[in-house]
Amino acid sequence: MTADLNLQKPSAGARVWATSLWHSLQSVFSPRFMFGFVLMLLLLAFGFLGPVIFNRDDPMEFVGLLYDPPSEEAWLGTDNFGHDVFTQLMYGTRTSIVIGLIAGSVATVIGILIGTVAGFQGGMVEEILMALTNIVITIPSIVILILLSIAFKTRSIVGMGVIIGVTAWPWTARAVRAQTSSLRTREHVDVARLSGTRTLSLIIWEIIPYMLSYIVMAFVLQLNSGILQEAALSMLGLGIDRGVSLGIMLQWALLWESVRTGAWWAFIPPTLFLTLIAFSLLLLQSSIDEIFNPRLRRS
Amino acid sequence: MKVRSTIAALLGLLLILSTAAPLAAQEEALPRNETLYVAGMQWGPFSTFNPLSPNPTWPSNGENEYLYETLFAFNIATGNLDPLLAKELTVVDASTLEVTLQDGTAWQDGTPLTVDDVLFTYGLAQDHDDIDYVPFWSYVTEMTATGDRTIQIKLDPARLNIGLVKRYLSNVHILPQHIWTERAEGDTALSQVVDETPVGSGPYKVLDYSIERIALERNDDYWGEPIFGLPAPHYIVHPIFESNDAGNLALQRGEVDLSQQFAPQIWKMWEDDGLPVGAWFTEEPYHIPGNIPLLHINISRPGLDDPLVRRALAYSINYAQIAATAMSRYSIPVQPSLIIPSGGEEKYFDADQVAELGWEYNPEETRRILEEEVGATKGDDGIYVLPDGTRLGPYTILASFGWTDWQTAVEIAALNATEAGIEVNTEYPEAPQVIERRNVGDFDMLIWTHAGATPASPWQRFRDALDIRDVPDFGGVAYWNWNRFSHPDVADLLDQVAAATDEEMQKELYSKLDRIFLENIPVIPLMYRPLEFYEYNETYWTGFPNVNNPVAPPMHEEAGVEVLYVITPNE
Repeated sequence: MTADLNLQKPSAGARVWATSLWHSLQSVFSPRFMFGFVLMLLLLAFGFLGPVIFNRDDPMEFVGLLYDPPSEEAWLGTDNFGHDVFTQLMYGTRTSIVIGLIAGSVATVIGILIGTVAGFQGGMVEEILMALTNIVITIPSIVILILLSIAFKTRSIVGMGVIIGVTAWPWTARAVRAQTSSLRTREHVDVARLSGTRTLSLIIWEIIPYMLSYIVMAFVLQLNSGILQEAALSMLGLGIDRGVSLGIMLQWALLWESVRTGAWWAFIPPTLFLTLIAFSLLLLQSSIDEIFNPRLRRS
Repeated sequence: MKVRSTIAALLGLLLILSTAAPLAAQEEALPRNETLYVAGMQWGPFSTFNPLSPNPTWPSNGENEYLYETLFAFNIATGNLDPLLAKELTVVDASTLEVTLQDGTAWQDGTPLTVDDVLFTYGLAQDHDDIDYVPFWSYVTEMTATGDRTIQIKLDPARLNIGLVKRYLSNVHILPQHIWTERAEGDTALSQVVDETPVGSGPYKVLDYSIERIALERNDDYWGEPIFGLPAPHYIVHPIFESNDAGNLALQRGEVDLSQQFAPQIWKMWEDDGLPVGAWFTEEPYHIPGNIPLLHINISRPGLDDPLVRRALAYSINYAQIAATAMSRYSIPVQPSLIIPSGGEEKYFDADQVAELGWEYNPEETRRILEEEVGATKGDDGIYVLPDGTRLGPYTILASFGWTDWQTAVEIAALNATEAGIEVNTEYPEAPQVIERRNVGDFDMLIWTHAGATPASPWQRFRDALDIRDVPDFGGVAYWNWNRFSHPDVADLLDQVAAATDEEMQKELYSKLDRIFLENIPVIPLMYRPLEFYEYNETYWTGFPNVNNPVAPPMHEEAGVEVLYVITPNE
């Protein structure tokens, strides 16, 4: 009997997800979603395929001198080193998105882990985990980020993503904990529990699928936040050691006074791309919210 | 530019905001046509006006001559010592100097400034080891008054070095004995004394100070009026900016009249914007070279221990690109010499020798040396391997994080070298880490300067680059010669040139030292930088010296005080 019930568990979760997805697809092609989706695709293509399409394989190559204006050779001029800004922009976009993806993934996974365990177990475990979460929330994340960044002798792309991710999970954890507390009293969870399902399986198959929409939205927000946090850290000189990101481009543009010297090509492109990335992700996030939240869709 | 230091400074700034508020409230508005606004000589809030402090507040820092004065003022345009508190320096014999004070010297409180004050000030370094001119007494055995206005200095015959002693005669601020005697006898170390009400001998007194500015007021009873006249500005204000860009923007707007800040592409202010802004030169390099950022090579590293490999590396670097980007065209492409080919050192520069033994950007020559002279072969990855199997790289160049001109320079050098077949990366730790690793020799390569243009240069630069004496082996803390270069002829040549008084002899000896450098290449000069950046805006003041009007040197410290006597309000 227990074995039978266990076999049904995945299909029950999957059914809910499939039903939800089916209803959601009706809104998938809303103009807002499409705009955000296409914009993000273009940005991804620019960052990941651009270097191949435009045959720019080295963002660190010197093609000119200090702040050469846009020309046929350097479409967006050169930066303070004499690097081609257009090439830097492609590689910078790629780096920023990769760091954002790593940071978003780390923050979301930690948030889900702590939130679900706290919400499902309750009692002392919940108290301890939520106390930890609240402590981390009270410390401004930028301070922790700065301290962590200084502590590491070298900062790689993965390292930066992890550093940002481990400071960004608390809000996800709190929200997931609240949802889990509500979900754990649902009937299907009780049935699964009575059938002897282990806690981990309960969380994976009976809790998480019911808040998948929230997790997806949280991940998109964390991705956005991760990209902006990377830019903020790089502006403070705490970015990756080697390579280029949008934040590092802005940092050098700031240090070398591109605004005062009129070198708009050094600071406007990275600023614009950061804005476009954030804009497209927010559009996607709000569209996904509409997809999963029927009340919003009706309105 | 040092971001992490800035963050710490900002946190400190927030902390003292409340306590400093009353001071800020006392600031008085000063008439603009009587006030000269300056920038780039004070970062952060007031600490002390004690010139013996390791970090005094402007104008007690460096060799500024507004408040406290030195005996002589070094002039970078001529390489000479200009008179200030003293009017004459006489070389009596090879080991005796005589200093004659100006007539009528006095402190701002009316007390006469006498030879006793001078002897007292230098004498402090005999009893207090926390003063930075303690080494003066390593070269001087005796300093005595030989008259009301004359002082005799006996040099140590075993360590004759007139240049270095001259340096100390132009960078030690003379202190009033009647005020500092009590402090010298107190329990507090002299370098730790907090001086808030300084009494100097200079043409300016402190008017007020706050977290936003330091203001000076002209001392109309200045002792030097009969000799120099009075400086034109009634007030000098140094606003305390958070960063270079804020100060440069203020210069551009005319809110600052005279600046000592690195301002990239300064020429755009007059060429593109038509502003009344200027530097010493109206075209490249805009500033007088005053120092040489050097690529220090660890000559104990496999591969880099071969002078031919170092020569190949020297040929691979694009010095013109470095001058045009890292130094914003403020440097002519550097000459392969430890002598700056302009200003006071120009007379020692041996152009023929440099042409014969030097190098320039030429990757083909790098290839030729490595393949034909060294016998290296290029691997599939484009990096050369020596006959003994040593791969040329990866090596790492260290530069301090946030020191943007240096970071840019080493980025270019690393890329050039790698393209030429010597794999070089860059690493940017914080400045204290770089200094620590520099001192113990824990680096492949790093960028740093040796001594700039001073009365003791280029002797001090050759000593720093080539002299192994007093330098511990790798692992010990070295204050110069960080790559532990040694050569059997260097010590004798340095001692001879330090004691030489004949210019021809000096030139010959410096040429020999430069030849040792050129043949061994323990360091590679990357670019020049000015001793001080000198930029002005003539919206409110006019007549600033420049190459077409060289009535004072392009400096702020030392003889730069002469600028104040030649400018006039812009009517």
